[in-house]
Amino acid sequence: MSTSTLSERRDDVLHALREKYGPLAPFLAIAGGAVLVVSGLLSWSHIDRVLQNISVRFWPAGIQIYAMVLGVVALVLGVLLLRKTPWLDPGRGLRATGTAAVVFVAMALLAIGVTTDGLINANEGGWVALVGAVLVVAAGYLTAPVDLDVHAWPRLSSTLEIVIIVVALAALLFLTAYTLDMDDSWTFFLLILTILGVVVALLTAGFGEYIGFIGQNNRRPLVLAAFLVAFLFPFTQGGSSANMSIAVQILIFAATALGLNIVVGLAGLLDLGYIAFLGTGAYVGAMLSNSAFATVGWKPPFFVVMLCGMVVASIFGLVIGSPTLRVSGDYLAIVTLGFGEIFRLAMFNLDGNTGPDLTNGPNGIPGIPDLNFFGFDFGETHTLAGVPLGRFSNYYFLLLLLIGVVILVFARLNDSRIGRGWVAIREDERAAEAMGVNVFGLKLLAFAVGASLAGLAGTIKAHQDTSVTPDQYIFLESAFLLAAVVLGGMGTVAGVLVGATILKLLPEKLREVNEYRLMAFGLLLVLMMRFRPEGLVPSKRRQLEFHEEDEHLVDLAQTEHLEEAK
Amino acid sequence: MEFAQQLVNGLTLGSLYALIAVGYTVVYGIIQLINFAHGEIFMIGAFGALSTWLLFFDGQTSIWVLPVMIVGAVACSVLVAVLMERIAYRPLRKAPRLAPLITAIGISVFLQELVRIGYNDPTLFLSDWNPFGFPSAAQKVPFPQIDHISNEFWNVGGVIIQRSTVFTIGALLICAAGLFYFVSRTKTGRAMQAVSQDPDTARLMGINVDRIIVVAFVIGATLAAIAGVAQGLQVTNINFKMGFLAGLKAFTAAVLGGIGNVWGAVLGGLTLGLVEAMAVGFIPGTFGGSPWKDVWAFAILIIVLVFRPQGLLGAKVVDRA
Repeated sequence: MSTSTLSERRDDVLHALREKYGPLAPFLAIAGGAVLVVSGLLSWSHIDRVLQNISVRFWPAGIQIYAMVLGVVALVLGVLLLRKTPWLDPGRGLRATGTAAVVFVAMALLAIGVTTDGLINANEGGWVALVGAVLVVAAGYLTAPVDLDVHAWPRLSSTLEIVIIVVALAALLFLTAYTLDMDDSWTFFLLILTILGVVVALLTAGFGEYIGFIGQNNRRPLVLAAFLVAFLFPFTQGGSSANMSIAVQILIFAATALGLNIVVGLAGLLDLGYIAFLGTGAYVGAMLSNSAFATVGWKPPFFVVMLCGMVVASIFGLVIGSPTLRVSGDYLAIVTLGFGEIFRLAMFNLDGNTGPDLTNGPNGIPGIPDLNFFGFDFGETHTLAGVPLGRFSNYYFLLLLLIGVVILVFARLNDSRIGRGWVAIREDERAAEAMGVNVFGLKLLAFAVGASLAGLAGTIKAHQDTSVTPDQYIFLESAFLLAAVVLGGMGTVAGVLVGATILKLLPEKLREVNEYRLMAFGLLLVLMMRFRPEGLVPSKRRQLEFHEEDEHLVDLAQTEHLEEAK
Repeated sequence: MEFAQQLVNGLTLGSLYALIAVGYTVVYGIIQLINFAHGEIFMIGAFGALSTWLLFFDGQTSIWVLPVMIVGAVACSVLVAVLMERIAYRPLRKAPRLAPLITAIGISVFLQELVRIGYNDPTLFLSDWNPFGFPSAAQKVPFPQIDHISNEFWNVGGVIIQRSTVFTIGALLICAAGLFYFVSRTKTGRAMQAVSQDPDTARLMGINVDRIIVVAFVIGATLAAIAGVAQGLQVTNINFKMGFLAGLKAFTAAVLGGIGNVWGAVLGGLTLGLVEAMAVGFIPGTFGGSPWKDVWAFAILIIVLVFRPQGLLGAKVVDRA
C-alpha cells in the first residue's frame, strides 16, 4: 500500500513541476546536449593510459566521442521537442538518453578512479559531462508523456525507404566492426552503454516503431541487405581471427537457438533438453568423420553426414516427442530436461566399459579434421578481393548459409498452414483441436523440424570445434539456448539473433568479469521475466499477450495489420 | 544380504529425496509452480549448517552442536526461500506459465553462483577480505562430522547401517509426523489445504492466500535444510552444485507420488530411492551399476510423467499449460 501512495506522491510532484517548468524542457535538453558535446572536447583525465587517451583537449577520442554522441542525440531530441511531431515523443527519448548519459559518466568516472589511484586523476571533462547529463534527465522528466499518433507517420517513397534501410544496416556493419575492435574492457563496456542508450532513446521516442513499420513494408530488401551486411563482415576484420572465432560461436549458437525458436516460440512447447539435439548432430558428425578416434568405420562425404545428423536428430526428436507430447506445459519441460540429462549421461557412459563403445566416454572424440568441399579446405586461409579469410571465416560463411536456410524454413513455416496451426496450439490447444488442427501431428512435426535443424548445426559444430565431449552438452547450455530465445523475443528471427549475439558476445568481450558471467546470466533471466517478459524484439502478438491493457500497442498492431492487408 | 543392504541404501536415499520433494509438492499444490530453484534451497541449507559450525563451533564435534547447526541451516534456507518468493515469484503470479519457470531457472543459476563466488568472499570481488574465514565453495567443502552420528556404523548380520542413515531416516519420520500434525491439526495447515483445493473460495472465506503461499515456501525450505544437513553428514562434503541433481530427482519423486500431495512426495521419494538402489545392485550387464543409476532415475521420471502423470497416489493434475 505504502509504495503506491509513494509513487502517487511522486507523480503529483512531477505534475506540478511540469506545469511550472514544462516549457523550459526543450531548452534544457538543448543546453544539456551542448554541454555534453563540449565536454567531449575537454580533458577527462590527466593520465593518458586510462581508457585509451582521454587527456588531450580539443582532440576527442574513445569515451569523449561517446559522450559527444549522447550529446548530439539529446540536442536532436530537444529540437524535435520544439517542433512537436505527432508521431514522436522526444520526452521519453530524452529520459532514456539522460539516464544513459548519467550512468555513462558515472561509470567513466568509476573507471578512471579504479584504473588509476582514485578520482583525483579525473579532469574537468567528466564533471562537466555529468552536469550535461543531469540537465538532459531533467528535461526528460519535465516533458509530459505524449500519446503517439501512429496514423501520422510520414509516407515516403519506397526508394527512400530502401535507402533508409541500407544506410541503417551499413551503420550497423560499421558499428559492429568498430565495437568488436575494442580491446579495452572498460571502453567496450562504456561503448555498449552508449549504443544501448542511443538505441533505447530512439526506440522510446517513437522512431523504433516507425523503422519497424518501414521494415515491415520492405521485408525482402531488408532481409537481403541484412545478409549482405553479414556476408561483408569478415572483410572488415583484415584476416584477424580473434573476432571471427567469436562470430562463428555466435552463428552456431544462433542457428541452434533458431531451431529451438520453432519449438518454443511458434509451437509453444517448452524444451529444456534441446542441447541434446545439437549434441546428437555433433556426435554423428564426429563418429562419421575421418578422426582417428571415430568409432564408426563408415566415412561418407560431408553432405551425407549432414543428412545423417539431421535424420538421427529428428528421429530422436520423434522418439522423445511421441510419448511426451501427451503431457503439456511444465511437465513437458521437465521430461525434455530428463531426456537431455539422459543423453549427456549416455554419451558419458558409452565408452566400452559401461556400455558399447560409441563415444569414448568422458574423453570424447578429438582430432576431427576440417571440412573439405570439393577440394576447398576449410582449414586453409583463402584470399578474396585482397582480404585474407582464415579458417573461422570459412566456417562463418558456411554457417551463414545454414542460418539463411533456417530463416527461410522458419519464415515459410510461419506463414504457412502449419505455422498457423502451431500458433493456434500455442494460444489454446483445445480450441485449436476443436477447429480441426491436428494437434498431435503438428507438435510432433515441430519437435522433428527443430531437432533436425539442431542436428544439422551440430555436424558443422563438430568439425569447427575439432572435438566433441559430453560436458559440452550440459543442462546449462539448454538454459542458455532458451534464454537466447526468451531474451530476444519469442517467435521472431531478429530477436533470437539479437539474443544469441548478446549471450555469446558479452562474456567473450568482458573477460575481466568472466567470473560473474553466470551470476549475471541468472539475474538477467529473473529481471527479464519481471520487466520485459516479451523479449527485446518481440512479435506483436506476444507483446499484446503480456500487455493486454496497453491501448497504444493495440492501436499500433491494428495499424500495421491494416497496412499489411492493403 | 545384498538385497537387504540395497534396501537400507535405498531407504536412506529415498528419505533424502522425500524431504526435498515435500518442498516441490506443497508449493505446486498451492500455486501450480515448479519451483525449480528448490534444489538450491537444499544446497543453501547445507552451507548454512556449515557456516553455523564454522562461526560458533569450529573444531568441535560433540553431538549437541548438531541441533544448533540444523537451526542455522533452516534459518538460511527459509530466509532465501522467502526472499525468492517475495522478489521473484510474487510479481509473476498472473503471468503466463513460461515466465515463472524461466525465472526459476535464473534463480537457480544465480544462487549457485552466489554461493560459489560469495561464500568465502561476501563482497563478491574483494577476495582478500574474508571476515569469517570461510573456505572457498568453488571446490568440495568438507562437512563437519559429528560424534555418534557419522563415521560409525552397525553391522547387523552383514548389513552395514551407517549412523548417518539412522539420522536421515529419523529426520524424515520426525518431519513427516510434524507435517501431519501441522497440515491436519493446525489452523494454518487447514487453511493451506483449503487454498490448494480452491484459492478463490479460500480467499472469500477470509484466508490470506499470500501468507499461505509464504508458509508453503517456509515448510519446503525447512525440510530441504534438514535434508541438506543429512546429505552433508552422509557424503562428508558439500558443494555448490549439489542442489541441481538432488532437486531434479526430488522433483521426480514428487511427480512419482502425485504432485500436490504431501504424502505422495514422501512415498515417491522412498520409491525412487529404492528403485535407484536396486538398479545399482541388480540390473545385470553393462547398463547396470552406478554409472547408469541417474539414467534409470530419469527414465522413471519420464515413464511416470507420460503414463501416469497423476502419480502413484493420484492427486488432481491441473492442466493450465
